[in-house]
Order: sequence, then structure tokens, then C-alpha cells
Amino acid sequence: MSVKIVSLVSVGAHPTSGRARRAEQDARAVELGLQLVGDNLQVLHAGKAEEPALRAYLGMGLARLHVLEQPAGSDALPALAEYLRDAAAQIVLAGTQAETGEGSGMLPFLLGEQLGWPVVVGLAAVESIDGGVAHVLQALPRGQRRRLKVRLPMLATVDNAAPTPRQSAYGPAQRGELQAHEVDIFDDPLLAESALQPAKPRPKRLKVIKAKSGADRMKAATAKASGGTGQVLKGVSAREGAQAVMKLLIEEGVIR
Amino acid sequence: MSDIIRRDPRAEWIARNRLHPLHAAMQPQPQQWMGPHGVVRKNPHGLGFMGPNGLKRIDRSGAQQGGNVRRTAAAEAKLPLHRVAEPAFYIAVVPDMVGGRLGSHDRDLLGLAHRLAGQEGAVLAVIFGEHKESAFDTAGVDRLLQIDGSEFEGYAPEQRVQGLRAVDGQFQPRHWLLPDSRSGGGELGRRLGASLGERPATRVWQIKDGPAGSQCTGRAGAGQQDISRALPRLILAAAECAEPVDETRHEVLPVSLHGAVARSLPRIEDLGAVAVDPAAIPMAEAEFILSGGNGVSDWALFHRTAEALGATEGGSRVAVDNGHMARARQVGASGTWVTARVYLAVGISGAIQHLQGIGACEKVIAINLDPGCDMIKRADLSIIGDSHELMLALIEAVEQYRHGAKREAA
Amino acid sequence: MLSVILPTLLFASLALAAFGALRRIALWRRGRPAQVDVLGGLLAMPKRYAVDLHHVVARDKYIANTHVATAGGFVLAALLAIVVHGFGLHNRVLGFALLAATALMFTGAVFVYKRRLNPPARLSKGPWMRLPKSLLAFSGSFFLATLPVAGVLPEHFGGWAMAAILGVGVLWGVSELFLGMAWGGPMKHAFAGALHLAWHRRAERFGGGRSTGLKPLDLTDSRTPLGVEKPKDFTWNQLLGFDACVQCGRCEAMCPAFAAGQPLNPKKLIQDMVIGLAGGNDARFAGSPYPGKPLGEHSGNPHQPIVNGLVDADTLWSCTTCRACVEECPMMIEHVDAIVDMRRFLTLEKGATPNKGAEVLDNLIATDNPGGFAPGGRMNWAADLNLKVMADVQQAEVLFWVGDGAFDMRNQRTLRAFVKVLKAAGVDFAVLGLEERDSGDVARRLGDEATFQGLARRNIQALAQYRFTRIVTCDPHSFHVLKNEYAAFGGQYEVRHHSTFIAELIQGGRLNLGQHTGGSVTYHDPCYLGRYNGEYEAPREVLRALGIEVREMQRSGFRSRCCGGGGGAPITDVPGKQRIPDMRMEDIRQTEAELVAVGCPQCTAMLEGVVEPRPAIKDIAELVADALIEAPLRANSVASSKREAAQVNP
Repeated sequence: MSVKIVSLVSVGAHPTSGRARRAEQDARAVELGLQLVGDNLQVLHAGKAEEPALRAYLGMGLARLHVLEQPAGSDALPALAEYLRDAAAQIVLAGTQAETGEGSGMLPFLLGEQLGWPVVVGLAAVESIDGGVAHVLQALPRGQRRRLKVRLPMLATVDNAAPTPRQSAYGPAQRGELQAHEVDIFDDPLLAESALQPAKPRPKRLKVIKAKSGADRMKAATAKASGGTGQVLKGVSAREGAQAVMKLLIEEGVIR
Repeated sequence: MSDIIRRDPRAEWIARNRLHPLHAAMQPQPQQWMGPHGVVRKNPHGLGFMGPNGLKRIDRSGAQQGGNVRRTAAAEAKLPLHRVAEPAFYIAVVPDMVGGRLGSHDRDLLGLAHRLAGQEGAVLAVIFGEHKESAFDTAGVDRLLQIDGSEFEGYAPEQRVQGLRAVDGQFQPRHWLLPDSRSGGGELGRRLGASLGERPATRVWQIKDGPAGSQCTGRAGAGQQDISRALPRLILAAAECAEPVDETRHEVLPVSLHGAVARSLPRIEDLGAVAVDPAAIPMAEAEFILSGGNGVSDWALFHRTAEALGATEGGSRVAVDNGHMARARQVGASGTWVTARVYLAVGISGAIQHLQGIGACEKVIAINLDPGCDMIKRADLSIIGDSHELMLALIEAVEQYRHGAKREAA
Repeated sequence: MLSVILPTLLFASLALAAFGALRRIALWRRGRPAQVDVLGGLLAMPKRYAVDLHHVVARDKYIANTHVATAGGFVLAALLAIVVHGFGLHNRVLGFALLAATALMFTGAVFVYKRRLNPPARLSKGPWMRLPKSLLAFSGSFFLATLPVAGVLPEHFGGWAMAAILGVGVLWGVSELFLGMAWGGPMKHAFAGALHLAWHRRAERFGGGRSTGLKPLDLTDSRTPLGVEKPKDFTWNQLLGFDACVQCGRCEAMCPAFAAGQPLNPKKLIQDMVIGLAGGNDARFAGSPYPGKPLGEHSGNPHQPIVNGLVDADTLWSCTTCRACVEECPMMIEHVDAIVDMRRFLTLEKGATPNKGAEVLDNLIATDNPGGFAPGGRMNWAADLNLKVMADVQQAEVLFWVGDGAFDMRNQRTLRAFVKVLKAAGVDFAVLGLEERDSGDVARRLGDEATFQGLARRNIQALAQYRFTRIVTCDPHSFHVLKNEYAAFGGQYEVRHHSTFIAELIQGGRLNLGQHTGGSVTYHDPCYLGRYNGEYEAPREVLRALGIEVREMQRSGFRSRCCGGGGGAPITDVPGKQRIPDMRMEDIRQTEAELVAVGCPQCTAMLEGVVEPRPAIKDIAELVADALIEAPLRANSVASSKREAAQVNP
């Protein structure tokens, strides 16, 4: 395919250690781009160029990564929008949301709004690109897929249904070039008024018992939690067993 | 059921014991109630029970019971109606309506909206197209706006944003609430935010009223951090963000849009769902998994069963090690962590790593020969028996069911 | 007549052989430079050959004696033949000496011939089947040709016919033995093997030494290739080493992956490297192919990438780095080094670590442990044990290196058992706590030298802050890396495996042990403890101290079969016909032991993964902890028995 594709990447954080790494979904955006156009893929980051975690993207086999040089905490949107407007890209790929910072997942939509491009969420595969129109598969929950016809240029976000990113190799990561571009810097007002703090564990929702009588309360307190112990059918015939299983499967609506 | 009427001493005992949790269910039907005109009515036939010889007996001890006493749950009490005659403002909610019904996430959201609306505001639910929901009233919907039209059908996020913009223009809701879900709400809310120029608070899980106005807290980044900020106009709330409404009924007054909704240029066209082979669905996403372990002897039959049930196949480590299943199909801590709604485990005894991997599954069915194994302790339904025969019976049962469904359709 | 033919043939073949040898040397020189003591190696070579090599060969008495006779006879015969027939020095004494040498060689060759009548599967066929006949022809012809020199027969016995027959015999003999040596025949092993012994990349192995740590890759020099892509990326003495292979197949017979039907055969791998060095394809390979991979489909040359031309990637990833092949190789070829070199390229340059490999490496980079667990949970297993942490105490006699087993619930039992033993013996020990990281073993075996070096540097930095006399660990993999591989990065430590340390404690009388009561026991030698570090005795000593008479498996000690858990093999998970741990469990079952003692978390995990019913698996530390008689406990029991006595007699 000879279209121009740009993948947007950010610096991620490992879920248990919080250490900087390539962001999982952004890596998938790069992978999808590499599968579509190979070496012609352009990869773009807005942030600090000296961040070592960016090399993990280079390790996927990229010769260079363009960095719109910004200090931490600035608004990436204006710089990206301006760059993309001039980049003549047909498809811009991004992860669904960042692993660090606010991670609101708004960036693709705001970019789409500013550039006037359609935004497709949950891109799983690009089937064909033909005369300014792309046929793409969109991922739905539970592994389902929907086919969409989208006018180019478009912006697409990928989630975990996109292809698994290839391994980042040390050699190319060291050789690849982080190409810094100077851009105007805008501060993000949100960070001025609120700060990030370590996530508080969310309270588990309790079953609130609004009992009218003492007996009801007793019943609620002594009744076993649902799903605690299941029903065990012992010594039934295979047919009866199968009927019991079928009943549950039909109740759950998984038999179609 | 046999026709012989038998005494159930335990049931009698429960019926006498007012502290027993099942006491209420064991009480006979009410013998007297208030009729529609305020007159007390009695049912003289309801008294007593059929004795062992088929004669009607009346037991004055208060322990009346019997095989033919119908144990029905107490009728649901009517909740008080919450009326908002002249709403001072609106809180707009756009529920996901998965399958045309309010989901639990939607109800939580309506509960949150109700909190934000207080006594003066009205909760305005905006839904697109047809619905199958009959309980908007108890879920807390004061006003219901149904936006119809072929252009909103299927996947039409851009057109729906146009619809919501029209709602925004007409009702000027104080807050917009959307579920931050993968079933559409998260996407629609962000599109709306971008379109309205509102910066939403996302993945909000808590809203607190403070001296400086309401503060909302949402997850940030990859879920390792929280961000708190003043409550913005557009809120994308996570599941369990608030308690659902459960003490009031609401009016569900229909409202409508005055003008026509602007038609957006269809830049994204929905070509419909793509048939997905259950076998090709990634394990982590599959809805229904048939998983085999060491107790499966006939793997050809196992594969046939999976095909007949339309289930995604999985396997225990042993099954994978023994080469019956590809490594990518391994379920468990060292394989894939699955989230299936129904997990049918055949011949899997349930090593701890395996049970860890199915922790997120809603319903687990176990088929096993050993009634003492750990999988059965975890399962919601367990069949003790030979997996071979059971799988054969299952295939037959599914085929019968499908035939039946077809005949009904015909 | 013969006096003309013989010198001509001899000198012609020697000249051609010299030419061939130079050509072969040029082939080796395509490899990268290596630091070698050229002269010292050559001088040490005869001793290395006669002692170290013979020591390995002598494990099979039949072939050892045969080889001494044939090779010794040949070397003598060849030298004398050049003097006697080449230079025409027809001296009677020399004649008899030559007769004796050829007779010796002939005898040896007869035994070689016998061996080849019904050869075991591990031996290569093809040209190797011709070799005993060539040996017989050489020795027989020279014997006959020398009889006149010794004066046994008259000068021109047999006339033309005899001369012709001898001429043909000698021609055959010298072609195989002189030309074949330098031009790639079976006898190449003698020429390349001798030089390989002289310029071996691990000279420390000779004279009873041991060198098992992988050689570091220089990551700071951008000209050094990251691992081996093409045959010419090996160092020249590695290429020479491949050429030394005699295709005896002892490695093949010992390789756990080959036995499990995974696509690896160490002998074929080395021969493939020879093909890569000289160019060609593998159709003429006369031994067992890689299981499931037919011959004739792979080819290569020095300038062509090895993987997916000459060798498939899954062949390289099948290796468990158990070193059984290296231990067994009479030519002391370093198979594991070669495999890891090629893996390095795949991981560092291609990013092609298969299956869970990439995930494990990412986890190691981001969380310092292969499972991706939160680094802060590293000490959770010991929350109630009140362990001293180095950061608090600054010094201790023993540093207990916990290893990544800290995150594994099964291994935590072993760790807790070992802590109990340490406490019972009153050892002054401390742990690094959260400052400890994965030793880097898995990363390095998977070829990720960069991640290994990163982990190693940080571990060494952490260790450098504290004072301790030795490190003790329950994990032979950490043990090996700390002991043998950190030295290259400036970390020199005295390291003990916990079995060795417990043995020392027992010897020092610091443990009060009862008897083991759990039935018969066998012991499984972990590769990284045994073959890598030569510790076979201490675990057995500990078991003996518990009153256990170990029921040895047929394959134990240096021939112990791998559990299948080393070298990242469970991570790369190359499918085979059966699983290595199942085979090992079969070995264990044959001893009819009820329990198998192990000393490695990997072995424990792999063996416990075998479907029950099977013998129980316990770490040595657990067995010792179970048999501990704790002093305060005894005091209590004494006190209670006294009280009872008081009650009985008021």
C-alpha cells in the first residue's frame, strides 16, 4: 500500500512497576502501521526527545522517530495538529489512551475535530484502501468485528484487538535516530489546577440490604453469597447432566 | 413428582420458626386483604391444607404447611413517585442500552444523575431508536427523549453526536453523563466532548460535594493514578460510580426535540457485523469457552462439542503439554487470563494456576469424574460423570435445541 | 619399482594435504579475531590430547583402546613411513619399528571395522563407513611394503603384481589419511581437532579446570556484531572447533531435546556449522537429522544468514543449555556457546525470541523479574520471618541470595525451609531485600545480553555496598551466574549453593538432625549445579546425613538428564513428541523411589508439572528442615515428661 501512515506514540508505564516503557496500545499502532506500509511508516511523539523508553519503539525496526520537542506537562494537541496538517498523511494511528498523565483518551477525537477528519475507534485491521476510501474492521467487545467504510484521511485508535506488537530488539533500538523538531509550547491548564495522585483502591460495592423485617435481615445475613458454592449433580445420567448444562447455557444466552 | 402427599417436618419447623431466613417463604398465601373499594376480603378456601388422605385439614397450631401451598414472594411494594413538575435544570444521561435494555452501568449512571439533579433538576435520558426497557421509572428517569430515525441506526457515532448537540441546544443540561464503557458510551462521550469543546472528566468513579463545589475523582493513566478536579459539564463515569436509584419511582415523561437534527456528512459507513469464527476469537476476549484437561480422552469429540456449542476452545496446561491443544489456547496464570461469561471445564481438576486464570469468569460449569477436585469447588454447576458420554449428550441436546428453535421459527 | 612409487605418492599427497590445510585454515580465518595463545597452545596440545581428551574418550573403554591403537599406530607409522619410504632410509631397525606401528594400527583398525559392522544410531554413516577400510588399506599396504625393508622378505618380492597392488593400497591409504585430513574427509578431525585443542576458546577447561560461564558481548563497541548472524560472525577458533567434530554422536545420545523429539541434534548442528563454514547443503549429512526436519532442504555459506537458511530458529530455541553435549564431547566442542551466540543475534537484532520470550524479557526490563510481578513484593514471602536486610545491618557473614523464586508460591516453601535451617544453625545471614534483582540468567540464555548486563551491573552495584564473606543461594542458576558470569563485570564473590552450605554446616556440627522418615529417595542433579559447577557430592552428603541411601538413577551425576527447565526452554516452548520432564520422571520412576530430592526451583517446577501419580518432589532444604531437631523443642519435651512423671507419682 502506498498511502502515508503516521503512528502516534507516547511513553507508557509498566502496570506493576510503573517504570517507563513503550505503551502497549501505541506499540500496537506502530505494529499495525508496519504491517500496512513497512518502512514507510512515520512515527511521531510529542514530548522529550531524550526519553530512553522511546528507543523501545525504534527497536521494532524503525530507522527514526520524530519527536516534537516539548517539556513534560505541555499540551500535545496543538503541536500534533499542526504537524499532521502539513504531513499529508492518509491514516493516523494512535492508542486508545495514554498510560501516563491524564489518559483521558480525548486526543484522537480532538485531533479529528481540529483536522476535520473522521475518527474510527478500535481499529482491528485495514482490509483495503482504494481511491480515498478505506475498508476497515472495527473491534467490538467479545471478539466481535464490524466492517466500516471510511473516507480518508482518517484517524484511528487501536486497542487490544489490534495485532500484538513485535518484540523490541536492542540493536535497532540503539541505532535508530530520535529526530527532534522544535514546536511552539502550550501548557495544559488541567495540570495547574489538579494533580495526579496514586490510585486509591475503589471500595467494593456492598450488597445494601433494605429489609423491612427482622426475618428479612436475618435472611439476607445468613443467605449464602451467590456463586459461593454451586450445584453439584452426582449420579445423574449423561442426558440429565447435559440438560442441566444446556439450561444454564441458554439462560446465559451463549447458545446461538 | 409423585402424587403422594408427604409431610415435610423441616418445612413445618421453618414455618414455625420466625427467625429462620426462609420463614417468610413458608407462610401460606394471605388469607385476608384489602379489596379495591376498601373492604376487607377473605378467602375461605385458602385455609387449611390437604391431608395425607386427601381430606382438607385445618391446623390451628400456626404451622400450616403442605405440598400444595404456593410459596410466592411477597408482592413488590409500590415505591413512592418522585415528581419534577418544572425542572430547574436538566442532567442529561445517554445510557448504552446494550440489547435495548438498561445495563447495570447505565443504572449506576442514572443513580449518579439523580444525585446531581437533587429535588429541582430532572434526569433526562437520551436514547436512540427502539428499546425493550420497561423499568425506566424505577431506574430514575424523569424525562425520556427518544431520538428516532434511520440515520441513527447501526454504527453512526457522528450522526448521534449531531443528535446530542441538538439536545444540548434545546435543553442546555447542567451536566452530560455518559458511561465510560467499551459498548459505545466511552466513544460517544469523547466525540461529544470534542464536538462541544468540553473537556470531560473520564473514568470518574467518585463525586464528592465540597465547600469549593463538587469534585470528581477519576482514574488516570493506565489506572495506576487518580486525578481529582472540579466537576466539569461532561462526565464519563466508570461502572459503580454511584448507587443506582432504588427508593423512588420516576415519571418517565416523554419529551421531544423541536427541530430536525442536522445531518452530518456520512464519512463512516457501517457495513454490518462480520461473522467471527468462535475458534478465531482471542481467548482473553471469548464469551463462551469450552476447556479440556487431562480428563478428556477423546479429543476429536471435544472439538466436535466445541463446534456444536459454538464455543471457543481452551485447554489446561496438561492438555497443551500433551499436544492436544496449541500453546496459545492454554488457560491459566501461565497461559491466558480469560474473562468468559461461561466457562465449561471438561476433565480439569483445577490447579491453582488454572483457577487464577478463570477468576474473572462469571459462570463456571465443571464436568469431572472426581467430586472432590478444586474445580468443582469453584464451579456454579458441576456434573460428576464421564466426560465422553456427557459431551455426546451435550451435542445431542444442542442439536435438539436448535431444531426446536427452528421449528418454532417456522 | 615401489621405491619410486611410494615416495612419489607420499610426497605428492603430503604436498596436496599441505595445500588443503592452508585452504582450510583460510576458511577458519574468515571468522572474527579471537585472543589466543598461539604458541603456548600448540605446546600444550599433546598433553591436552593425551590427558584431557583421552579422559573423555575413556568413558567408553572399547573405543578408547581402539583409538589409542589406531591413532597412535597411525602417527608413528606415518612419521616412519615418510622417513623409510619417503626418504628411502632403508634401515632394518626403522623397518621393524614401522612394521610394529602398522601392525598396531591394523589391529586398531580391525576393531574400528568391527564397531562399524552394526553401528549404533548415534554414529554417522556415509564416508565414515569407509574409514575402517581405508585404515586397513593404509596399514596393510605399508606393512607389506615394509617387510622387505625389515629384511623379512626379499627385495623384489612379488614383482610387478605385488607392486601394483601395494601401489593401489598405498594410494587409497594416503588419499584418505593425508588428503582426506586436509580436504574434508573423515580424517579432518585429526588435523582440525589437534589445532582446536591447541587454540580452544576455553583453555581453562584443560588440566581438570572448568569454564562454563558464557563469554560477554561487548555492547560498547558498535563494530562488534550483536551475536552471530552468518558463519563468519563466529570467532575463527569457534569455526575451527566445529571442524574438529568426529560425528561420534555422543552429544546426540545425551541431548534431552533430541530425545524429546524437538528439532535439535547437537551433532547435526555442529555439522551444519561446518557446512556454513565451507558452503554447501546438508543432503550428504550421514547421521540422524533434526527430528521432524528432512535432510537436503537447508544450505548455507559463510556470508549467508544461518537462521532460516542453514538452521531453523526452533532448532536453536530447543536447547535447554544443559551442557550434556559439551560434557560428553570428546573433542571438547562448545555447542552451548554457539547456540547462545546465534540466539543473541535473533534476540538483539531481530527481536525474534519466540513464544513468551519477548514478554519475559520485557518484564525483566520493566520489573527486574521474569513474571512481571510488582518489584515491591519481592520480600512478601518472608513477611513474618524477621529477616535481616543488608541495608539495615550493612554486613553479615552470609548473604542469602533469594532469587526470583521469591515470587513463586511453591519455591517460597523451599526458601522458608532454608531460612529455618539457617536459623537453626545460628548462621549470621542477611538478604538484599528489594535491592535484589533477577540474576539475569534467563535473559542471557535467551540471548538478551543487553538486559543481562544491565541486571548484572545493578546487582553488582547493590552487592558492592555491603560486606559479607559469601553468598548462599537455593537457585543453581543464580549460583552459576553470580559465581562464574559476574566476574567479567567486576563482581567476584565466593558463592555457595545451599546444598554445599548445608553440607558444611553439618560437617561443622552446627545442625542437630534427625533421620528422614519419608521412604526411599532418589536425587536429581541440576545441570547448573552439576555439570556447570561440578557439585555432585555435597547434596548426596546432606542426604546421607539424613540417613538416606540415595537410589541413583541410571543417568545421574555428570550424565544427569536435564529437567527441561533451563535456557529459557519452558519460555520458548518448542513442541516435541514428548516433554523432557516426563522423560526425567520416567528415569525417576525406574528407581522406584517414593521421593525425588532436588536442589533447583526450575527442576522442582518442571518435575511437579508432571501429571500425578508420580513420586513426590522435595528440595534438599525442605528435607533438612523436616528432619531438624530444634534445641528449644527438646527442652520442652524434657520438661513435659518430667511433669507427667510428677503427676503419676504424687
